[in-house]
Amino acid sequence: MDKFIRVDMTTKQIATLDVPEKYAGLAGRALTSNFVADEVKPTCHPLGKNNKLIFAPGLLSGTTAAQSGRLSVGGKSPLTGTIKESNTGGTFSQKMAKMGIKALVIEGMPAEDKFYVIKIGMNGVVIDDAPAEIIGGCGNYKAIEVLNAKYGPKVGIALAGPAGEYRLPTANISFKDPEDHLRSAGRGGLGALMGSKKVKAVVIDDTGAPLSVPLAKPEEFKAAAKVFSQALLKHPVTGQALAAYGTDVLINIVNEAGGLPARNFTSGRIDFNDKISGETMNATITERGGEGKVSHGCHAGCIMRCSQWYPDQDGKYITSGFEYETVWALGADAGIQDLDDIAYLDRAMDDVGVDSIDVSVAIATAMEGGLIPWGDGKAALDIVKQIAVPTPLGRILGGGTAIVGKLCGLFRVPVVKDQAIPAYDPRSIKGIGLTYATTTMGADHTAGYAIATNVLKIGGYVDPLKKEGQVELSRNLQIATAAVDSTGMCLFIAFAILDIPEGFNALVDMINARYGLSLTADDVTALGKSVLKVERAFNAAAGFSNAHDRLPEFFEYEPCPPHNAVWDFTPEEIDEVYNF
Amino acid sequence: MSVQDKKAIEVRGFLQLDQVFKKRNWPVPLLIDLEKPITGIELAEKLEIPIDEIEIIFVNGFAQSLHCIIQPGDRVAFVPPGCPGPYRMALGFYSKNQENKFSFTLKDKKEEQ
Ligand code: SF4
Repeated sequence: MDKFIRVDMTTKQIATLDVPEKYAGLAGRALTSNFVADEVKPTCHPLGKNNKLIFAPGLLSGTTAAQSGRLSVGGKSPLTGTIKESNTGGTFSQKMAKMGIKALVIEGMPAEDKFYVIKIGMNGVVIDDAPAEIIGGCGNYKAIEVLNAKYGPKVGIALAGPAGEYRLPTANISFKDPEDHLRSAGRGGLGALMGSKKVKAVVIDDTGAPLSVPLAKPEEFKAAAKVFSQALLKHPVTGQALAAYGTDVLINIVNEAGGLPARNFTSGRIDFNDKISGETMNATITERGGEGKVSHGCHAGCIMRCSQWYPDQDGKYITSGFEYETVWALGADAGIQDLDDIAYLDRAMDDVGVDSIDVSVAIATAMEGGLIPWGDGKAALDIVKQIAVPTPLGRILGGGTAIVGKLCGLFRVPVVKDQAIPAYDPRSIKGIGLTYATTTMGADHTAGYAIATNVLKIGGYVDPLKKEGQVELSRNLQIATAAVDSTGMCLFIAFAILDIPEGFNALVDMINARYGLSLTADDVTALGKSVLKVERAFNAAAGFSNAHDRLPEFFEYEPCPPHNAVWDFTPEEIDEVYNF
Repeated sequence: MSVQDKKAIEVRGFLQLDQVFKKRNWPVPLLIDLEKPITGIELAEKLEIPIDEIEIIFVNGFAQSLHCIIQPGDRVAFVPPGCPGPYRMALGFYSKNQENKFSFTLKDKKEEQ
């Protein structure tokens, strides 16, 4: 019988309960969002005692299915004020699932000013005082070492870094990956929510847990899992390019399309793309050797391996999970042309525990505002490191793009619902703009990422600069994404399961074989729709209306070279996205 | 001189073609003089780029199929299969390229289908 664990930080009481019946068929984002909608007061202050933090593995987490080790983390966002699901890799999700923990809820708030570690084992849950050496600015890499030494090298760890302790709006929750490096539930400031509960870390020890979760139909599951991984391995995106070049392969492509926002969104193309491209990253890692790895998985069972270990000139590890969106923001948007400088910034942001998209876009915004010279990677690194102190300037940067823009007196501030717009200019790639405007999460490229087969019919013919078909495309991408985010699957499976239809069928078959169900593809779509409706209703009750589903105004009157397009969707057209 | 008057086209190669171009010691971008318009296929053949390593080409910032006509003065990039994300759709890869079987399955895995 699966468990639902609730930790009350006001009373320090722990309740290990049966899963409430209404959540029995839910997992991942479907569970976190339904729970937040049911139990969190929509108008509560995100850092007050009425907000709650929930961790939930996906429907397929803990099985042998490839790519199924992702975790959903939910709450009301300290950055956006909306509902939030932030998704991560690492070892946490599979351990939770194998231990039969459907969800972990952290609620209440201690009166005392003291940080704790929640330790979950097969014998129960305890609340320990946090080790003194990891409090007050200790970097996440060091904190993982300390916690490994105290609780054992194989435990899973979720960590609020210094930014989380200081409750900064861009604070992420960092998760230990299989090699003691960091992955993040990055967006939306959930690290600040964890810090507000005075929880420095959650440690999970699955010693004594079964090796896999129970399967209703093991043979059918095995057969479907095989078809699924074969589909992934034979597709050019998931079977080859992601592993070779990571997501940074998009630098050259989006730049060529004229949609790579440059110098705080004043252009859509740069001329130094070759210095920061995925192709150059791959060549640099290969040439430097040492600890460098061109491909790496963020959790056991990832066969697509879009992550990498980026080494310094002597071959020593600097950072991993070196994503396109971070390289874009620091490179194209902030004009930092040295990939090593960008790698050290990525590491520093992971170490201090901030969202590397929001803070990187904030760096570009701070450059436009005159706080940092354009393109100066060293100056940017200095301020990121100040977040650990925190100095006033460190706090400002850790406040994120919206706050930096306001404090610098700018109108060109690329945010929706106060969350930074990533890496794809909505004037030149219009479909993405609709997703940024309307997603329940604040600007988020991963909110419209997954594909169901119907999307191909709808979206297979769109032209990036034209409006036709874009509303339907954004709507269907968002619906499919909400469903995939509930499975525990990495979103990058999307293209293999679109182009190789048996891959999509195998995904549904695996869910059915795991639980003894007979879901169809339509049920999966219905799940996605229901998740979005629940999230949107929460946001409405929190005070958000259609008027918040808008891009910043400058996109409407500042043409974006080289195509010189502007954002021209009317409010009525934008509002159609959620008309389902 | 306007772009239209220029004879040279700019050519780039992405993903594995980036290394192919660099190993041939071609500059980024490679400049090639064109006397008259040619198709993407003809340009690929001229540069000895295998057709099955190309999903789409960009011409002046727009995704196009290999049949697209390239004019003197154009900016061109060859993109092998492997661009991730919904951008494949949003940038028009699918709309330009439903016919190209190389887009959707790895070369050495095709016979298994
Ligand atoms: S493909 Fe990348 S993000 Fe997805 S599970 Fe693997 S390493 Fe993690």
